Amino acid sequence: MKKYMLKRILFSIFSLLVVVATVMLLVYTMINRNVIFQMDDTWNKKSSNDRTIYEYTMYSKYGYLSYVDYTSFLKSKYEQLYGSEYTKNADYKADKDAVQDEAHYLENSTVQAFIAENEAKGYEVKYLTPDRSKSGKVKNGGNGYLIAIHEESVFLRLWNYVTHFFTIETTRDVTDANLTERYIRWEKDPYSGFYALVGSGTTHKYLLYFDGRFPFIHQNFIHMSLGTSYTRYRGQEITDVINRPAGDQLKARLQYPAQVGTDTYIDSAIDFHTLSYNPNPRTRTEETQFPDQYTTYSYRYSGLSMLENSFVIGLIATLIAYLIGLPLGILMARHKDGLADKIGNMYIIFIMAVPSLAYIFLFATIGTSLFNLPYKFANAEVKILAYVLPTISLALPSIGSLMKWMRRYMIDQMNADYVKFARAEGLSEKEIFSKHISANAMIYLVHGIPGNILGCLTGAIITESVYSVPGVGNLLTRAINGHDNGIIVACTVFYTSLSIISVILGDLLLAKYDPRISLSSSKGGGR
Amino acid sequence: MSNIQTQKDSKLFTFIDNNAIQSERITAPRYSYWASVFRVFFRKKINIVLLIVFVLIIAGSFIIPIFAPYAPYENVTDAKTYNLSPAAAMSYFGGFSFKWIFGTGGQGNSIFYGIVSSARTSLMLAVICAAINMTIGIILGAVWGYSKKFDAVMLVVYNIIANVPYILLISVLVYIIGSGFWPFVFALTVTGWLGIAYFFRTQVLIIRDREYSLASRCLGTPIPRMISKNILPFLTSVIVTLLATELPHYISMEVFLSYIGVGLSADVPSLGRMIQEAQSAFITYPWEFWPPVAIASAITIILYVLGQNLADASDPRTHM
Repeated sequence: MKKYMLKRILFSIFSLLVVVATVMLLVYTMINRNVIFQMDDTWNKKSSNDRTIYEYTMYSKYGYLSYVDYTSFLKSKYEQLYGSEYTKNADYKADKDAVQDEAHYLENSTVQAFIAENEAKGYEVKYLTPDRSKSGKVKNGGNGYLIAIHEESVFLRLWNYVTHFFTIETTRDVTDANLTERYIRWEKDPYSGFYALVGSGTTHKYLLYFDGRFPFIHQNFIHMSLGTSYTRYRGQEITDVINRPAGDQLKARLQYPAQVGTDTYIDSAIDFHTLSYNPNPRTRTEETQFPDQYTTYSYRYSGLSMLENSFVIGLIATLIAYLIGLPLGILMARHKDGLADKIGNMYIIFIMAVPSLAYIFLFATIGTSLFNLPYKFANAEVKILAYVLPTISLALPSIGSLMKWMRRYMIDQMNADYVKFARAEGLSEKEIFSKHISANAMIYLVHGIPGNILGCLTGAIITESVYSVPGVGNLLTRAINGHDNGIIVACTVFYTSLSIISVILGDLLLAKYDPRISLSSSKGGGR
Repeated sequence: MSNIQTQKDSKLFTFIDNNAIQSERITAPRYSYWASVFRVFFRKKINIVLLIVFVLIIAGSFIIPIFAPYAPYENVTDAKTYNLSPAAAMSYFGGFSFKWIFGTGGQGNSIFYGIVSSARTSLMLAVICAAINMTIGIILGAVWGYSKKFDAVMLVVYNIIANVPYILLISVLVYIIGSGFWPFVFALTVTGWLGIAYFFRTQVLIIRDREYSLASRCLGTPIPRMISKNILPFLTSVIVTLLATELPHYISMEVFLSYIGVGLSADVPSLGRMIQEAQSAFITYPWEFWPPVAIASAITIILYVLGQNLADASDPRTHM
């Protein structure tokens, strides 16, 4: 059994990698990149070399390639030497103008250094010759440019992605040589009153802490990174985007770490448990507020995050579906060809055949006009009522499909020998149906339960967009429409892992529910 | 009495030669499979009604555009024609006309003509995709179920591809290859057959090892003949059931994908796009939203019910 599970998990990881590699290959190499400029006014306004440069900067922003230009190379070189006034320096001007002279630019030593440095890194150096009209004057936007670009191969990209998937904090995270004390130890946490695991030299200050908020134990030890968003949520971690609560700032009476014990209080939403290391020297006010270099923090927000919104709606809908769909399926099978069966079948046909969009809108119209329920999520005055319509809309198709399959499997089981035996023993029809047949029919449905529950985490595309629920359901479709490759890859990983985990959990649950089923191929049951 | 006796010998009876062909004939009522299927199918009145409605929809959606092509931008310069209700449109364009029976859309376009052209797109899409996926799926599924070597390879492929969410795959493909009619067909069929093939493989696997198949194999029946004579006839009703769910599935899929913005491109009239364009104003301009929804639902329900009933009729056990 253990060997079997190990094999399953290894194969799952392998197929996850293949899927991610395939999607990366599709997204980064096979898509016509120019589509990102279709609606771009800036691109339309630019011409000649300026347009080419703009294209490269955009490509690098969208994650297609790494891009270095000569101007920023000069900036970093001269800023070090002459400070922020470096643009007035004569050497700087000479170096800067060198690239405008296509005949002699290679003689300039800084240009040579730029080329040598980037070629050593494996970058491809490109020189855009100044675009001149016949008289020799540079055209509008036709300045010469020296750039270096590097396109990562899919395998390298995959390798970088996978190796940055999990990061574990250690005391060597901070590279600052001035930091002498490096430790991880239990300390009393002034913000919750409990003990917390506090680190020095780690990126975060509080590594493990307890407080009154769900799920009560929090950690900053291990970080999972699905990648960053390129355009939609500019540079933010996608795990942060889907986990951050969407409400207002949650203010409280707090004290800065260095002021604990004094009577200086602030009214702020700062979450001091998120303190992380800031390499820049502290400002004078920061010195009064913080005892150490851990000065970067984030705020606390009220409300549910995108992921939580989707999960709450999905989970309640799934529960409703099982609680209603299964008994109705049993009822239909028990009165086969009766009134209940006919009405049930009509409902099933309606749900199966009609496009989901149609009945969701139909239902939205009925719910808003007859029961006066809020239609758009953001406009709801009573927040809890906003969840009603989406939840029910999501439950409707699941009820239909559960009814269909429960009825089907019940009817298949109705002529089995054990049913005849139960009848011969004198059990009542009700008991036979509700205990014996349904228990056997459930064998076929048990496998899908983990999938249905975990599937809630991916959100519901149509339901969420009809009711404008701020959930994760539209993350992928919006990313595709906005060419946000980072989110596309992250969604692939997220969805694929969920579906793999669902299947494995489903198999385990099935084997648990029906002891006759053995997962490993060895005979005589699981070992 | 004696008269009869003499007649018997000479006239009443004639001798028949021992005929080889005649002796092979089985004296049972003639049974034709497909004739029985349609006899059972047409026994239900609802099927006839639905079939007539369906034929009308097909005829309408293919014939009307020939005489009255859909011109979405014909009134785009006249802002007064935008979003007119049926009554307002008819009074504006002068009297009753089928063209304005559902009013006008956001660019003064005729909703009725739009629906007709879109229904044609949807029907064509459903039939083409179902034909491609079913053909590839059934042929490969039959081989997959029959050959154990092929099975081992295909299971690995299936396990990897089945892990990719379908919606993700289609969205990425549409994103990559564009969203015209044929690229869209390609996106829906490039992996669409895999599910059908897998379903079919399981069915073939069950029948492959039945006693009569085993007996056939022992007698040396070649594999193609085994598949075409022993296995496929047994699965006719399964194939029809599959078809009944596949056809409406592609129509719903198009509506769904257009709604989320990865569907057919703007120059191809489609029900999904019409619904998507009208959905934001479905309370203010209901005549723009509900007719395409109703037609899409009508087509899918009719296809589904007809398909299910045909599948029931194609099960030989109902032919008694």
